[in-house]
Amino acid sequence: MLPLRPVCGGIWRAAVHTVRMSRGAPPYRLFSSTCDGAPAALADADTIFALSSGHGRCGVAVVRVSGPASATALRCMAGFTQRLPPPRTALLRSITDPRSTEVLDRGLVLWFPGSVPGLRPAEAGEFTRRAFQAGKLGLTEVEGLGDLIHAETEAQRRQALRQMSGELGRLYQDWSDRLKRCLAHVEAFIDFSEDELIEDGVLNRVDVSVSDLQAEIERHLKDERRGERLRSGVQVVIAGATNAGKSSLLNKLCQRPAAIVSPIAGTTRDVVETALDLGGFPVLLSDTAGLRDSSDLVEREGVRRARERVEQADLTLVVVDSAHLPSEVDRAAAFLREHLRSVLPDTDRCLLVLNKADLLPEKQRQKLDTELRGVSGLPAVRLISCQTNEGLKAFLTVLHSSVKTLCGDPLFGAPTLTQARHRAHLQRCAAALAQYQRYRDTDLALAAEGVRLAVTSLGRITGRVGAEEILDIIFKDFCIGK
Amino acid sequence: MLRKKLPFLHSLLSPVSRHVGHLTGHQYDVIVVGGGHAGTEAAAAAARVGAETLLITQKIHTIGALSCNPSLGGVGKGQLVKEVDALDGLCGRAGDWAGIHFSILNRRKGPAVWGPRAQLDRQRYRDFIQSELLSTPRLTMVEGSVEELLVTEPNPEEPGHHRVTGIRLANGSHAISARSVVLTTGTFLSGSLFVGQTTSPGGRIGDAPSSAGLSHTLRERLGLRTGRLRTGTPPRIVKDSVDLSLAKLHLPDSHPTPFSFLNTHTHCKPEEQLPCYLTFTTPGVERVVRESLQLNCHIQQDTKGPRYCPSIESRVLRFPGRSHQVWLEPEGVTSDLLYPQGLSMTMPPDIQLRLIREIPPMRRAEIHTPGYGVQYDFVCPTQLSPALQVKSTQGLFLAGQINGTTGYEEAAAQGLWAGANAARSALSMPTVTLSRTESYIGVLIDDLVSRGVTEPYRMFTSRAEFRTSLRPDNADLRLTPKGFEEVGCVSSVRYQESLRVRNSLQDALTALQALFLSTSSWKKKLPSVPISETKSTLLTGLDLLQYNDVTFEMLASAFPESLSSFMEFAQRLKIEAVYKPHCDLNKKEIERIQREENMSLPQDIDYFSLPVSLSDEVREILDRVRPSTLGAATRLEGITPAAVVNLLNYVRVTEKKKETPQYFDGERVREDTA
Repeated sequence: MLPLRPVCGGIWRAAVHTVRMSRGAPPYRLFSSTCDGAPAALADADTIFALSSGHGRCGVAVVRVSGPASATALRCMAGFTQRLPPPRTALLRSITDPRSTEVLDRGLVLWFPGSVPGLRPAEAGEFTRRAFQAGKLGLTEVEGLGDLIHAETEAQRRQALRQMSGELGRLYQDWSDRLKRCLAHVEAFIDFSEDELIEDGVLNRVDVSVSDLQAEIERHLKDERRGERLRSGVQVVIAGATNAGKSSLLNKLCQRPAAIVSPIAGTTRDVVETALDLGGFPVLLSDTAGLRDSSDLVEREGVRRARERVEQADLTLVVVDSAHLPSEVDRAAAFLREHLRSVLPDTDRCLLVLNKADLLPEKQRQKLDTELRGVSGLPAVRLISCQTNEGLKAFLTVLHSSVKTLCGDPLFGAPTLTQARHRAHLQRCAAALAQYQRYRDTDLALAAEGVRLAVTSLGRITGRVGAEEILDIIFKDFCIGK
Repeated sequence: MLRKKLPFLHSLLSPVSRHVGHLTGHQYDVIVVGGGHAGTEAAAAAARVGAETLLITQKIHTIGALSCNPSLGGVGKGQLVKEVDALDGLCGRAGDWAGIHFSILNRRKGPAVWGPRAQLDRQRYRDFIQSELLSTPRLTMVEGSVEELLVTEPNPEEPGHHRVTGIRLANGSHAISARSVVLTTGTFLSGSLFVGQTTSPGGRIGDAPSSAGLSHTLRERLGLRTGRLRTGTPPRIVKDSVDLSLAKLHLPDSHPTPFSFLNTHTHCKPEEQLPCYLTFTTPGVERVVRESLQLNCHIQQDTKGPRYCPSIESRVLRFPGRSHQVWLEPEGVTSDLLYPQGLSMTMPPDIQLRLIREIPPMRRAEIHTPGYGVQYDFVCPTQLSPALQVKSTQGLFLAGQINGTTGYEEAAAQGLWAGANAARSALSMPTVTLSRTESYIGVLIDDLVSRGVTEPYRMFTSRAEFRTSLRPDNADLRLTPKGFEEVGCVSSVRYQESLRVRNSLQDALTALQALFLSTSSWKKKLPSVPISETKSTLLTGLDLLQYNDVTFEMLASAFPESLSSFMEFAQRLKIEAVYKPHCDLNKKEIERIQREENMSLPQDIDYFSLPVSLSDEVREILDRVRPSTLGAATRLEGITPAAVVNLLNYVRVTEKKKETPQYFDGERVREDTA
């Protein structure tokens, strides 16, 4: 393992070079084995390396090398000409390019003794896959680990940890167990009821269980993508008329001049994106071109993109220039309603930001601030000034709580969906249960097929369910005599 | 069509040889040992494929005997009977001849799980089977007890591998040679009978035990792993001594449905059918069982018995305080006996009498023959190929209870398949396999050879993951063409009939799809059907036939010109229409399984040194079971998804060296096996 500080491009190139250099007669096997150990399994014969600490903003970068030629890599890149340092001991070393001997960076190096004998870049997820293939991790755990590795914020990390510890796995396992029991009881009714004392009540109980499960799975699916959002970041889009101060708001939120601001209307013509951590939640903030009709081709494209972003947004911040508001509160509310309609398809997920509050007389400011709250047909309204920072703190509190609602609190309530893969299987599962309801009274074989498909779909997440397992439940629950 | 009369048996006994002297030195293609359900189907199938076949049994007159219950078919089992019939086997037609009470179980649960079933007349069943075998060309039957299986010395190039060369009969030095041998010894392999505290060697009351020589050859010479199972049968009750007015009358279907695709009606006329009776156990039964446990050897043994055909002892011990069903079934038209289904027992005969008299209709009942238990050896079926051939012994095939199954239908299905393959092997043709995606027989064999058994194996519809496609109504379409074209076990008459049916059904479906009308036109044509008006789309006749209340007859009377010629298939068409969308959905999964089944794992892999990342436990399982395909490996208990991915990679690498076949990507495999 060669942990280093963020700028690791040089290390990366050096490692790639080391690999290319080593492409001699047998591909990927340039280095002869210098380590002792048991013969490697076929799949593990290559030496692989990867940036293990995720891409993008990282405080610390970890480059991990695994395989038979790791020792050679450590020797020629960390300057151990004679022998390796003691294992499991971190040493501060200069990391050098083995070819030019140019110093690339300084960092901690340490190694762990492994078993075996070439070097190639790891395929995506290969370290994890190796652990998975070695039977060390279950499937949901592997996915949880992937998220943990990619976790950029505290909330994401907590969710990934929850999944690793199997909370989501347990939820799915519980569903799977209940579904298996439903299937076993339907199957018992099909295979044995003609000769045995299996009363019709069995099917009625299955009906209830199937409805319950269907409702629970659909509720889980209707978490409105919260889990996925927490993994990929909440899409927050700043939209509104030109010159309302949208770019200023973006710069305030990310605390750096990410977008160019000027008094000229139409300064922002494309989407400006920036990622930020909002109280532990990942947010992908986009500033967009001001919405207006324009004859300028470039600006028209910018407006089209802005509208597209608004369509896809999890949350839209509609920024309005306070100076354009009618002074009467009633008329101001009507104006804002009209304005929102021109910006958004629906007002469910938006916050109204009245910018340039500093330009209003103090009296009007207070009136607006108190009276616009709770006006029907309007979302949460906040007066701010990007110039004087007035109201920014209160606005951030509202924004944080909106984002938190969108993600769901990872420490509270039922675990949320974190994988698109899970979503697809669960949707199939719910649809299959609907098939049970559809055929329940006309064709029990087709109804049972529905439950069987549901079990199979969940099994794609929790693990395969075999016919024997179903029969075991049948014989445990019923006295079958023929 | 059923023949109107069975040939009078005794006049036909001459081709049956009771003396075996002249057979010595004779070379047969196939020798079948055993005359039960597996043996008779095996012998008949081998002869149909074209092999000179010899059936050896202890007593000619017990050929085709129903040792236990006088019935055939049922849920899951009925599907097997239909499939055996589709492959031109005997049991379906025998059932149509001998049936005295026909009913389709699960009638209200959907055609995929209908269970055709019949109570049988024991004598008629046996007569039919014997007469059928006697008239089968290339088939000879002989009485005798097999002492030894003759095999070659192990092949020095393949240690542990033998070839079968024939058999040696008991009490004499008669060796009869054959290229293939099918063993269908039922419960006779090291069989022991149990009644009360008495134990005696044997496989069935009234028959001599089989020789220990055969067990010895299998275990010691061939090194086959065996296990021990148990089963039992109830006492037979004197009918006149039972007060049937105290039991619930159970009538058969008013229109008996034949098993065989060749029959339009059963031998028994509808009005001549006999009823069954239902009664229940009382607390007294449980008391008798508990009081007599000390006197009951069989029940104290921990040998595995069937969970689903348990003795009355196991039933009351496992589910105490309950009332259990007992069916009183007729044994035949002229029989004076009743068969109490559900009362299999092994206690001493005097206690058996006490027990049955605790059940109201049998207060004064007399026992004709006491019930008894049997324990017997079976050969762990994971040592067999999907052709039911012992992997280590070329030419040796096993079928029936010797493979750990229970039930007539399971035995018949294996017998047919083992017999057909034994003949093909003897005639130097490649063996054939049936996929679990195309038949219950395939499910049965795949479960046996790739998973093995821990208790007597019985068929259930829930074992067939594609049961909506593997229906009793379409067994002929699924298997008859294959049976003729690829296996050679189907007569050309049956083959031609199956083609006629297939083409007619196809034409009818085409005609239905050609009826393409708006919802309002359909409403005019079929005013009684609640067709949703909101649907503005056009509907075909096939769509309409999927409606619950629409029958093919209704459509045919609305469109007589295009549909009336298909009235013969009205029920089959209705079923096809309802199931078609589901079968289409099944197709993708079926194709995936078939691809996995096409990826064979070499039989000589040394799993312990295989350079693939596998746990020791997985290596141990694979080495023990030696699955013949990746598909079979996937279904093994204890095989992890990771192990399958690694095996898949291995198969890919080794296969790639030979050819460049099409495979699916690894990602999908991981998903599917997870």
